[in-house]
Amino acid sequence: MNAAQKQSATQSQKLMIFVLSMSLYGLATLFTELIPKFQLGLVELSVEYFLFIPLTLAILFDPLSAALGAATGELVFSEIMLGQFGGLGELEKFLTVTIGVYIAGRMVRDPSNRAMVGLAAITGTAAQLAMGTLVDIAKVQFAVEDFEAVAGLPESVFATEGFAFLNDLLFSGILFCLLPTLYLVPRLYGKIEPLLGMAPRTAASAVAGLSPKALVVCALGFVCAVLAELAATAGMSLIDWEAEWAESGTALALGMVTAAAVAVAALLVAKKNSERNVTR
Amino acid sequence: MNVVEIAGLTYTYPGASQPTLKDISLEIEQGDFLAVVGNNGCGKSTLCKVLNGLIPHFITGDLTGEVRVAGVNTLESDVGALAQKVGYVYQDFENQIVRPTVLDDASYSCLNYAFPDYQERGRRALAQCGLSGREEEYVWQLSGGQTHLLALAGAVSLQPEILILDEPIAQLDPLHADRIYEVLRELNEKQGKTIIVIEHHTEYIADYCRHVMLMKDGGAAWKLPTRQALQRVEELEECNIFPPQVTQAACRLKNAGFLPTDSPLPTTVAEGRRIFPVPGCLPRQNPPSARPPEPPAVSFQKVSLAYRSVKGEPRTIFDGLDLEIRQGERVALIGSNGAGKSTLMKLMVGLLKPQSGKVSLYGESISDKKAEDFSRQISLVYQNPEEMFIKDSIRGDIAYAMQVRGVPQWEERTDELLERFRLKALEGRDGRLMSGGQMRRASLAIGVALEPGVLLLDEPTANLDIATRREILSVLEDMKDIIQTAVIATHDMQLVCQWAQRIVVLCGGRVVADGTRDEIFSRPDLAQLVGIRPPEIFTMAQALCPGALCYTVDEFTNWFKEAQTHAKADE
Amino acid sequence: MQKRMNKLSENLLDKFSMEFLRSQVLKNAYGNDDTVIAALDPRILIVWYLFFGLVPWFVDALPFLLGCFLLVMVTTLLARVAGLVLFLFGVGVFSQTGYLFLATLLFGGDASAIAPLLVLTLKVATISLASVTVFSGLDPDRLSNGLMWFGCPERLSFSISYAYRMLPMLMEEFQNVLLSYRLRGNPPAHETFMGKVRYLIYQIRIIMESFYPLMLNTAKRSRTTVEALELRGYRYAAANKSVKKIKLAALKVSYNDLLFLAVSFLWVAVSILFCALL
Repeated sequence: MNAAQKQSATQSQKLMIFVLSMSLYGLATLFTELIPKFQLGLVELSVEYFLFIPLTLAILFDPLSAALGAATGELVFSEIMLGQFGGLGELEKFLTVTIGVYIAGRMVRDPSNRAMVGLAAITGTAAQLAMGTLVDIAKVQFAVEDFEAVAGLPESVFATEGFAFLNDLLFSGILFCLLPTLYLVPRLYGKIEPLLGMAPRTAASAVAGLSPKALVVCALGFVCAVLAELAATAGMSLIDWEAEWAESGTALALGMVTAAAVAVAALLVAKKNSERNVTR
Repeated sequence: MNVVEIAGLTYTYPGASQPTLKDISLEIEQGDFLAVVGNNGCGKSTLCKVLNGLIPHFITGDLTGEVRVAGVNTLESDVGALAQKVGYVYQDFENQIVRPTVLDDASYSCLNYAFPDYQERGRRALAQCGLSGREEEYVWQLSGGQTHLLALAGAVSLQPEILILDEPIAQLDPLHADRIYEVLRELNEKQGKTIIVIEHHTEYIADYCRHVMLMKDGGAAWKLPTRQALQRVEELEECNIFPPQVTQAACRLKNAGFLPTDSPLPTTVAEGRRIFPVPGCLPRQNPPSARPPEPPAVSFQKVSLAYRSVKGEPRTIFDGLDLEIRQGERVALIGSNGAGKSTLMKLMVGLLKPQSGKVSLYGESISDKKAEDFSRQISLVYQNPEEMFIKDSIRGDIAYAMQVRGVPQWEERTDELLERFRLKALEGRDGRLMSGGQMRRASLAIGVALEPGVLLLDEPTANLDIATRREILSVLEDMKDIIQTAVIATHDMQLVCQWAQRIVVLCGGRVVADGTRDEIFSRPDLAQLVGIRPPEIFTMAQALCPGALCYTVDEFTNWFKEAQTHAKADE
Repeated sequence: MQKRMNKLSENLLDKFSMEFLRSQVLKNAYGNDDTVIAALDPRILIVWYLFFGLVPWFVDALPFLLGCFLLVMVTTLLARVAGLVLFLFGVGVFSQTGYLFLATLLFGGDASAIAPLLVLTLKVATISLASVTVFSGLDPDRLSNGLMWFGCPERLSFSISYAYRMLPMLMEEFQNVLLSYRLRGNPPAHETFMGKVRYLIYQIRIIMESFYPLMLNTAKRSRTTVEALELRGYRYAAANKSVKKIKLAALKVSYNDLLFLAVSFLWVAVSILFCALL
């Protein structure tokens, strides 16, 4: 068996994991769109975390494919399919989910080690949540000029965001990520791999360990996520630009209307002509 | 000219200790129509994947020997180049379809291999597979048989010289199965394609194939012309392949001295008519079963149901259906794919609610009960056993319903069921990782765990080879004492004839016939209407003597012997 | 609270019919392929979306926003979007701004507090409807071709059309697994409040647990799918530039597309004129 063959085999396996992770997580997020979020007193329980699905797959198989598959699945199934696509802001979710799942997958050397699996699951979730929190804080900081100058604002933002983070991690994180992952990984380990024609991951075969390079890539991804989210919300504070434009005067607006009307008329005529040509 | 040449092929899956294919040498002529038969797990599918290059280019492993397909050495080629020489249709063909519309899917390969005229090629392939006029339809609008034809069209679109089909008719009713084989015959005869099928249904092999290859323990035992191959009854039966019923019957009669020892065994009804001497006509009378009417177990009163459809009007499944199933009955529901059999079962367990009318169970309307509540009265075994496995071991699955209900001694009951269904040795395994027959047995055990009064079975023998079917049949016989009333939806007429007391024929959401097997099968108009077909042996007996009613090989041989003796006595 | 709990626990498994969901998603994807919107060139629609998905964020002028909103409402109607999607749209808009509106009223806010909220709601609604028009109105294949033309990764456009192909099957499978639980399981009685909480927890647990069989079943499927994709040349196409060209050759800008753009432009220009006049 030569190197090229080996390469193509792993390629196909990656595609398989991508497809698997995408379909399952996509299906799950489709439901979360439909399940209402609810509050128990102060504590908000957002049942939006089916993150255990990609976490489990990332721990058992190639982490990157599982992570990318999950993020794509969410984008395609619940955003695009239901017409809930939010534009640039979706990139933030895409990247944080990918990074969180990827980190968790890389941490586990031996899926039969429960402690390791649990630690990885909660770390991955925490990473994903923390990134979301940081993005939120950055958003406020960016939107409010003189963020530091407003008395009490930084503290209150940090406090509320920090509370939300802890709350999400302790409730959603444990209930919907840690426990299901701990339930699923040992049950699936050794069973799901033969179905995909692969050998189970063992301490010896694992690509595990978070290399500095992987961490740098993750950090870069996170920066992209922040930038994307900021760009998406930037509009809220760019009113200056708008004001100038609105004052541009009646003449310009009238010109635009005339131009548009002429264009519509011209197109209508052209279309008629072409239809006549076709019928001839 | 040989289109396939294999020399000394041995292959081991990665991580396996034993080779799956052992020293196979084989030649297949251009334009052949070859059936590959053999026990489950003898390497049939593996061999086919070697031919299209998936092994070793996609699925790695240890391969020695030489494989040449259409003059190309598969080791030196790649999957892409080979895909244009060998088309492959999987057994679970619906997973092979990746595009949403029919034409898109048929032309997908051609597009990927960069043929500018990909749509034309797709259309041509659809025409060759008899799907013209459906180009714009969405794939989920197709029936099971049409979906299979589409998978075939996807393979044909690249115009490969060889087509390989893995158990093409396992899930289809006889009409659709005929359709597939007619298409294959046309591709073989008119287009000169070489066709290789993995097939258990020897009746179809006898009708359509030119050669048969027997595989045994990873080796190729022999390859012979079909007629010769099917004569080797004992050898085939040893490998769990059952020759056509006509052949089996002739073989037994020959051994019993009722046929000359030098006469060849017939493989089709037409041959049988030439070979069997016409016995004196002695119509076999099955005594009419007069039973006192029992109270009904399930009854349908004017039930109407329609599905929402993606577009346009809802599709009506039932319109004012009336049907009664009495306690203690064994009922077979038959009808073509899409006649409403599965829907009827879902109505009985309350998974679907009728839009009007009433379904009642033991006299009580089921809309008043919750699905969870009557699981002790009625139970459904799905067509696809994998969907019944929700725990990580067979034991857990069988125990689940009893455990959560706190049935006393549920642990002992679980042990009993495991014993009874011969699953004790497998109790820790996950259901999905077992063989087809084991999966079925497990799903039956799950279905009867709560000792329901009514047991519903949806296609219990689909996707199984004949040997496993026999096994399931014996399990069903064995369950008679625990299950009072049973309903089976099936295409398997041998199962119907051997097991059912009453046959209900559904067509277009109506009950078009209802009666014993004699009443149903002696009506030729029904065969025309719904495409049901009696077992081959029944047709054989009728061909010899129009009044004869024989449903099994045993009944046929007994009848034949009796008639022969009778005729001799008369002389 | 109890009422809410009631509703929720009923919604989850009982009233929540997978069959309904499935038909809605399918309807949304493929049931409206004969509308004016679906016939438009996907590239034109994506450009159109870029305008209506972004610009309203930056503008506060009420006539302009109102104009945009009316336009996207008309296109949404033209696209004949499924009811479920519109419902989700409503929920989405409410969850973003509507509750703020209610809260403001509750705490005795006056009309001056409501006006900015109204503007914000209008913005959110316009942007959501624009995305509903494009992403629900277009058939997924055309959408993915359009995205591909703009240089989106091949994997994404494949994922979109494959997702639509897979979704009905996945849902059916999930439905069957849930039915297994329903037929064989024994949910806690849910007459009392505590019972309802237990029932809800039971249902959530069942949904989680049902992913165990679902993962294994889907794994089995995806193996065949990936092998078939290999045979059908998926990887070759990804590496071959000419395939993309052939695929995209089917896209053609017609007069209708230009007309659609021009009419939209006219409408926007008129609303700008209003801004300037007022």
